[in-house]
Amino acid sequence: MTNSINNLELVKELVSKTTTILKEENIDVQQLAFEVNTCDIHHVLSVLKSAGWKQLSYLSAVDWPDENKFEVVYILFNWDKPVYVQIRTKIDRENPSIDSILPIFPGAKYYEREAHEFFGIAFPGNPDYEKQLILEGWDDIPPLRKDFDPSAYSDRKFPSREYPQDYSVTDEKNHSLEKRAERKARAERLRTGGKKQ
Amino acid sequence: MLSTKFTPKNKMTKAEIDRKWWEVGDYFRRNSLWLLMYCTGCCAVELPPSMTSAYDMERLGMGPMATPRQADILLVSGYLSLKTLRRLIYTYEQMSEPKYVVALGSCPINGGIYHDSHAVINQLDQYIPVDVYVAGCMPNPESVLNGFVDLMEGIKQKTMNGWKRYHDHFEWYKENQKNSLGEVIVHDEFHQ
Repeated sequence: MTNSINNLELVKELVSKTTTILKEENIDVQQLAFEVNTCDIHHVLSVLKSAGWKQLSYLSAVDWPDENKFEVVYILFNWDKPVYVQIRTKIDRENPSIDSILPIFPGAKYYEREAHEFFGIAFPGNPDYEKQLILEGWDDIPPLRKDFDPSAYSDRKFPSREYPQDYSVTDEKNHSLEKRAERKARAERLRTGGKKQ
Repeated sequence: MLSTKFTPKNKMTKAEIDRKWWEVGDYFRRNSLWLLMYCTGCCAVELPPSMTSAYDMERLGMGPMATPRQADILLVSGYLSLKTLRRLIYTYEQMSEPKYVVALGSCPINGGIYHDSHAVINQLDQYIPVDVYVAGCMPNPESVLNGFVDLMEGIKQKTMNGWKRYHDHFEWYKENQKNSLGEVIVHDEFHQ
């Protein structure tokens, strides 16, 4: 069975038999997304794994601050039937926590650590989820949350260069050619040390 | 005044002799520069054309070096994340003196397109002294080579003394490193 249309049908049937689907999305001819209840995640993943979706391609999260939810996304891939399956579930944004899927996919260890580092989601069941992986010595709220302001963090932590003169053209009337001539003259002064050659 | 048979010989002082030897050393040094390429960012793609037959860096007497202990130039090519900066400081402190730092691209100058990133520093010369900046995003091979020629000229004029500044203002550099990085020591679970 290599026809991907049939494969899509197969996955839909498989998932709908396993659990209640909250939302279903046909992303394209090779990708399907299902939103399921948080308590069903492990069941769905293990059913899909035994049906051949044995590679966990990615595990990450999406921040939805308006709904006050995190959406955890598991992407599975099957090497025989070319369909990516995304399993999504929404968890609370306050003290986010979801049980680890280590017993099903041992490779999820590092993805869960990454998700904990960048979103602050706890994964009970994974013994190392709190260890640092990518960021070293992070001292602020997790950086991929939407309420984190990278620009303010950068201004606070890293000194930025101060320029003696501002050459940016902000005024419409002030023609940019003037600025350019000014800048060239200054570069020339710097190069020759004020002497005419 | 040249000494002749009838005038006493010019005695050079210790400082003058040292200076002479430094000039001799600088002559050889600037004509055989070994680069430690710390390819941190995307400007590293400008190095293959600079090194190979198109622009042929070796005609200036420059070549790549594998270890920091034997290299003269630390070449920072592109943006530096906090993780990379920690390793860069390690590398810089391992190099033997005199050592020079050349920074490519606009990111080490003022942050470039990563000026508002939480993971990328804005200004490299707050943490280690930089001798030559090559601006551009990315600089083309001509300007990379021009930067090296500037460096050689600067060694001749004795203006490339970033490594001396690092000695003189060591406390200031360490404080900046500490403010931005927290601690410079690398904790790596895979190597401990």
